Amino acid sequence: MLFVRPGKLSDLDQIEAMARAVRPILHSLPPDRRALEARLALSQDSFCADVDTPGEEFYLFVLEDSASGRLFGTASIVASAGYAEPFYAFRNDALIHASRELKVKRRVHALTMSHQLSGKSRLTGYYLDPSLASELAPDLVARLLSRARLMFIAQHRQRFAPEIFTVLVGITDDNGVSPFWEAVGRKFFKRDFAEIELASGGRSQTFIAEIMPSYPLYVPLLPPDAQRVLGEPHPNAVLPYSIHLEDGFEPDGFVDIFDAGPVLTANVAMCDTVRHGLQRRVVRRGELVDAGTPYLVSNGLADEFRCVMVNLTRPMETSPAPDIPLPDAVADQLLLADGDLMCCAPLHHQGDLR
Amino acid sequence: MIVVRVVQADDLDALFELASRTGRGMTSFKPDRAALTQRIDRVRRTIEGTAPLGEQGYLFVMEDTETRAVVGVCALEAAVGMTQPFYNYRISTVVHASRELDIWTKMTMLNISHDLTGYAELCSLFLAPDARVSGNGALLSKSRFMFLAQFAERFPPRICAEMRGHFDEQGESSFWSAVGAHFYQIEFDQADYLSSHGKKSFVAELMPRYPVYVDLLPPEAQACIAKTHKDTLPARTLLEAEGMRFENHIDIFDAGPVLESHVDTTRAARESLLLPIELDDSAPGDGVRHLVSNTSLTDFRVILVPRAPHSGSLKLTREEARALNLAGDGAAPQLHEQPQAQVRVLSLYPKERK
Repeated sequence: MLFVRPGKLSDLDQIEAMARAVRPILHSLPPDRRALEARLALSQDSFCADVDTPGEEFYLFVLEDSASGRLFGTASIVASAGYAEPFYAFRNDALIHASRELKVKRRVHALTMSHQLSGKSRLTGYYLDPSLASELAPDLVARLLSRARLMFIAQHRQRFAPEIFTVLVGITDDNGVSPFWEAVGRKFFKRDFAEIELASGGRSQTFIAEIMPSYPLYVPLLPPDAQRVLGEPHPNAVLPYSIHLEDGFEPDGFVDIFDAGPVLTANVAMCDTVRHGLQRRVVRRGELVDAGTPYLVSNGLADEFRCVMVNLTRPMETSPAPDIPLPDAVADQLLLADGDLMCCAPLHHQGDLR
Repeated sequence: MIVVRVVQADDLDALFELASRTGRGMTSFKPDRAALTQRIDRVRRTIEGTAPLGEQGYLFVMEDTETRAVVGVCALEAAVGMTQPFYNYRISTVVHASRELDIWTKMTMLNISHDLTGYAELCSLFLAPDARVSGNGALLSKSRFMFLAQFAERFPPRICAEMRGHFDEQGESSFWSAVGAHFYQIEFDQADYLSSHGKKSFVAELMPRYPVYVDLLPPEAQACIAKTHKDTLPARTLLEAEGMRFENHIDIFDAGPVLESHVDTTRAARESLLLPIELDDSAPGDGVRHLVSNTSLTDFRVILVPRAPHSGSLKLTREEARALNLAGDGAAPQLHEQPQAQVRVLSLYPKERK
């Protein structure tokens, strides 16, 4: 059975192997053992910490196959983007250039370096091993891994900002060349995208303010190649992109400063996973049943957080709140005893059934 | 004899005909009878002293005294931008540097500027193609510096002149296509026409409000910046010989350069001499060519004579003196009986060029 849990230092070998497989390279999952080790250590501390308000914490989750113990993916949350530093993104502004006299009205977009996302919680470091073959369909596994983070946030709201966002990888060609970087970043940095992407270690380094444009960039003045990739996800990021949109994230407000990849933003309280998540008590029972519709189910723990995807039978929202029967195998995986509270969120909420 | 003189009311028809021959690119001299009438009246009021500073302007025509045909025109505006704003791009430099990454990048930017507000402007120079012979172009262009030297107190300390920008073989401006076209949504000619007819408010309404990064523009648009139209290069050379220089201001539509100077550092201000004349029909006709102007405001006239001053005076033939309205033979209608008349004299070209 596939489940999501906090990463541990003992996962380092497997995580390093995944980091080396990621294409394009992600600053959030660098192919650097020492950096990964530091992140795992920070993550372990964060899950264990008693947190009232988001700060330096970093939460790294892994997707494990319980049968083999093998890891097939990672996904992370930065509690406060930039933390003490600004977090840089290009805000995508629409400027209206209008002349009544000439009967001209034109909407011109301009990209402005913005700190507005600083301090918001950031979903990052998403990677799913393409070699994974499981009983779950691949797009369901992707949803389990990605949305497990929202399940965690839903139950630990004090650890996170009320607003969250994620930056997805933008378009690059087969050689890793980003048309947006070539048209913008390279003019300022005079280096390759991959080099700066890793050096940046995020979007909070001082050198970004020193090097990147301090005035807005008019989008129509950029080369067509660069305009075309604005806010467009890399083919490898299309699935995560759609998963976030399903969950209620908004595109279009921002793009990444280096490759113009999509920046998706959401109010935590407005995310489907949070809005439709229900606290219910578990009733353990023996057998596995396959009836019902897919739900994300997690326990309410922090350092022993577990999240799985199982089929549950509706309706669940009757009053008084019904206890939810779970097969023993699932309950064991979630570390749940009879009568414990768990969180259930439908993969597709009613009205959005596919 | 070719003479350049201040325009008179009865020059209207000749001006209209000449304006019909200018074609594209002359923003301030178009075949518009009403506009030309106003223009001539404006010169009258300027000379009378009844026009406010922002309206003051001088128009000079080049006349062939034998045929009475007007073959050229040029103008001086006393102070630009005093009613409608006078827009230019100022080319500025921004250095983006990071010690941490060992990056130092010099970026060039275009900033909307009103820097030239209150400058006098040399403009509207046009010489009929069949009159472009034997120093006529130089005489026409440089007559204005003689006027400035003679009547410096009527002008601000600085002057400027906008040069036509670069257009390709198809008559397209790459700079306009890459920049202006995105904001103005009208054709270059239309923008040019409106801007020359006092409809500059549309410029302000539609133009980019933020600086434009030159390095992010297409190479062909970058190449247009401060590049003079090939047909205007000779005019630029003439102005530069008089002391004008490109000082990092360009036109907002076609990126043509603006030449600038202090009035008191022009060659005419520094080197021209006020000398008495000596009527002598046998004066030599094969010496170094000199510009000669009278000292009259209402009937300012400039001609070329083929000789240099000698022993503190300048010899003029009766025909030359008549052309300057200085002769005492009764041939000229408005005779200035000034036996000791003075003229301003300046070699046509700087000393290194004979």
